[in-house]
Parts: sequence; C-alpha cells; structure tokens
Amino acid sequence: MTVMFLIGALVCGLSVLICWVMTAVRDHPADSSIISLAAIELYLIAYGIYAGIRQLGGASVAGEAWEFWGYILTALLLPIGVFIWAMIDKTRWSNLVMSFVGLVVFVMVYRLEEIWWGSAL
Amino acid sequence: MNESPQDEPSHASPTPRNRGVGMLIITAYGIFAVSSFARALYQILTDFDASPVSYSLSAFAAAVYIVATVALAKIGPRAWLVALIAVLVELTGVLAVGLWTYLDPELFNEATVWSHFGEGYGFVPLVLPFIGLFWLLRHRPGTEAARGAAQRARR
Repeated sequence: MTVMFLIGALVCGLSVLICWVMTAVRDHPADSSIISLAAIELYLIAYGIYAGIRQLGGASVAGEAWEFWGYILTALLLPIGVFIWAMIDKTRWSNLVMSFVGLVVFVMVYRLEEIWWGSAL
Repeated sequence: MNESPQDEPSHASPTPRNRGVGMLIITAYGIFAVSSFARALYQILTDFDASPVSYSLSAFAAAVYIVATVALAKIGPRAWLVALIAVLVELTGVLAVGLWTYLDPELFNEATVWSHFGEGYGFVPLVLPFIGLFWLLRHRPGTEAARGAAQRARR
C-alpha cells in the first residue's frame, strides 16, 4: 500500500462523511460538502502529476498505461460533473449526491493502484 | 432537527421525478453511464477480438445506461416511458447476463458490467434497476411529474 493511496482513501472517506452529515443537518448544498469535492479534485490532480513525473522519468506501470490515464481523466471529470449536477436543485439531497464522488473516486484510485503497482494493498 | 420534508417552505407542489431523491438515482445512473461507456470504449478499441461477446455486451450495457440516465433526467410522459423501457431492459440484461455467466463462463472470458450479477461493481448493477423501477412507478405521468412539467411550462 502506498502513501498516495492512504491519502486518497482518507480524503475520499472524509468527503463522504462530511456530505452525509451535511445531508442530515443542512437543507441546502453545504460549503463543507463543496470544499470536500474540491479536495478530492486537488488530490487527483496531485496524483496525476506524481504519476506523470514518474512515468516521464522512465518508470512503467504494471498494467496498460492508457487504461491508467483513462481512469485518471474520468476521475478528474467526476467531481466537476457531479458538482454541476448537484447545483441544479439546491436541496439537502445535493449533499447526498455529492457524497457519491468520494465513494466512486475511492474505487477508482484502488483500480489505479492495481494498474500502477499490480495490487493496491 | 426533526423537520419533515413537508415543513419546508415554498414546496407546495410535490417534488418532480428528476428532483430531490430522484437526483440521487440519476447520479448513480450517470456514473454507470460514464464508467461503462469508458470501459466499453477501452475494451473495443484495444482487443475486441479477445472476447467479442463480452465487449459487445459492454457496449450494449453502456448504451442502456446512457438512455436511462437521459430519460430519467428529462420530464414528461414520453421520457417516462423511455426510462421505463430502458430500466426494464437493464433489469433483464443484468439477470440474463448474470445467469448466463454462471451457466456458460467460457463465452465470457472477459468481464462485463453485468457479469455475475454485477459482482465486479459491488452488485450495484443488480440493485439499480429495482430502485429505478420503484422510482418510475412512484412517479407515473399524469400525477406529480405531469403537474411539475405543466408548472415549468407556465413559467
């Protein structure tokens, strides 16, 4: 297990937790839910830059390189897409909609680690 | 803390099909539409010959999810009908492919979204059509959905 994966799991887990709590206590999209999505996006950018520098430096991934980058690209679009969608109707459910990002990105980072190192754990 | 949804102001009319909890279901469908489309595209572009049956099914599943997402997000009786058909096709697909992958694993040497009843995706593909069906039947056209659309048109 890499440090990068641990940070990712933490960021995603916290985001899901924040969004769930905010679903219960706010009847509008909470600032903290939105910031938690931004944190996930920032993490993914950092992950992408880190992977890019390593791969440019000659390091190879265990799986297919373009499957890896396909995952990163899809993951990067997710917080933005879900955020736009969640803002269409500003109710308490916006928070629950935003909690999906943490769940899905966690699974995607798990897959990314598998492609990168051969196994995530 | 214990306010019920009815206490919220300015929501005199019932929530339309694509708002409130409906947003959640559409998000789930949207995520599956995007991820199954990306997966199918990757599989078909890289090695279609390795497992044409699986990869064609992946593409079909992606198309069903995309149609379902769009139809669920749109309001009106025709979108409702399209969504119902898409969800029923999805339900049939996950049950048939799920069963098929157990009976004849040879045919599916590569995974699809629906293989083993969506095991690779935490069985979400198996649960999703039931939730979608429940939601659509709770929001038949002619009831609140139609009223919501009429209100929208009047504005």
